[in-house]
Amino acid sequence: MRPAARRTWLILGLATLLSQLAACAWWRPQDRSYITLMASPDGSVGRVLLQGERGEWLLERAGDAAPLDGSRAPAPVDPAVFQRDFAQALAARPALPQTFVLYFGSGSTEPTADSVALLQDILANAASRASADLSIVGHADSVGSAEFNEALSLRRAQAVADWLAAHGLQAAALQVRAQGKRQLLVTTPDASDELRNRRVEVTVR
Amino acid sequence: MTLRSLIRFFVLLGALASVAARAEESAIGYVKTTSGEASVTTLNTRVAAQPGTPVFLGSQLQTGAQGSLGVSFRDDTVMSFGPDTSLTVDDYLYAPEQSRFKLAASLLRGSLNYVSGLIAKLQPDAVSLKTPSGIIGVRGTQFAVKVEGQTP
Repeated sequence: MRPAARRTWLILGLATLLSQLAACAWWRPQDRSYITLMASPDGSVGRVLLQGERGEWLLERAGDAAPLDGSRAPAPVDPAVFQRDFAQALAARPALPQTFVLYFGSGSTEPTADSVALLQDILANAASRASADLSIVGHADSVGSAEFNEALSLRRAQAVADWLAAHGLQAAALQVRAQGKRQLLVTTPDASDELRNRRVEVTVR
Repeated sequence: MTLRSLIRFFVLLGALASVAARAEESAIGYVKTTSGEASVTTLNTRVAAQPGTPVFLGSQLQTGAQGSLGVSFRDDTVMSFGPDTSLTVDDYLYAPEQSRFKLAASLLRGSLNYVSGLIAKLQPDAVSLKTPSGIIGVRGTQFAVKVEGQTP
């Protein structure tokens, strides 16, 4: 082989090696325990505070990883390493919980027409899961006393639970709770007639 | 059947029913997905995990060499585990009526994918994950952790 050709091969080889090193710059064999920050399913990125034996770090960028002992600063994770380590945990992730909001007429336990249609969606969502558990939380607007609204919101939640049960809902658990007028969705003065506060929130998990 | 044994039978039945009702009340989450070997151990009683298996405060969630497991908690926190994993739920409190929240877990070994729920949203400093070499404080997000430990 001529010297020029040999030099070309040497440079090519070095370049390949360097690019491979760069691709996994943060990754070292001893970092077998580490955390990777990911974007939330809604696309937002939160933060993680890591307090390791050897240092404290704040992870703020999706895709950043750091060894759990805090020995080095967060840096982008090698996607191939991430896949190797987490593919199975990610594949086992259950369908995310989903919340449905049903609205009611004033003083009534009858859902509005639009909300009645949602009941079928709740049934379908529960049926799509291998095992569903539900929480059904009733709310009221601020018209009337606390006691009155406590009872009214419980009857609303129970009416929804009864309807679902009567229409074939299969659930591992079903929790019915009442919040009265303590948790207004729309802040209003007391004694305000407000449709958006007369609601039942159904979460299917 | 004598009257006495009949009474005894119904008392026992009632006791069993109330235990079951209490169990459902105190369940903090439920298993949703499994594959391979996966179990939930509560108060030294180990049960094979399947969709619908309840998870309690103090439960230990484990997977075998080919196993995986997914759990949804009452506050909509979702955790899933890859093979050879062991996680214990040390503390769990979801009481929106009293605005009291807490979620603490220990990952002894294995891999975890965590998606935050309402506890992290309503009280950002209430969620922590302990590992053998560091503590993770969660400020509302999704993350993945791997702990390579001694083989069990």
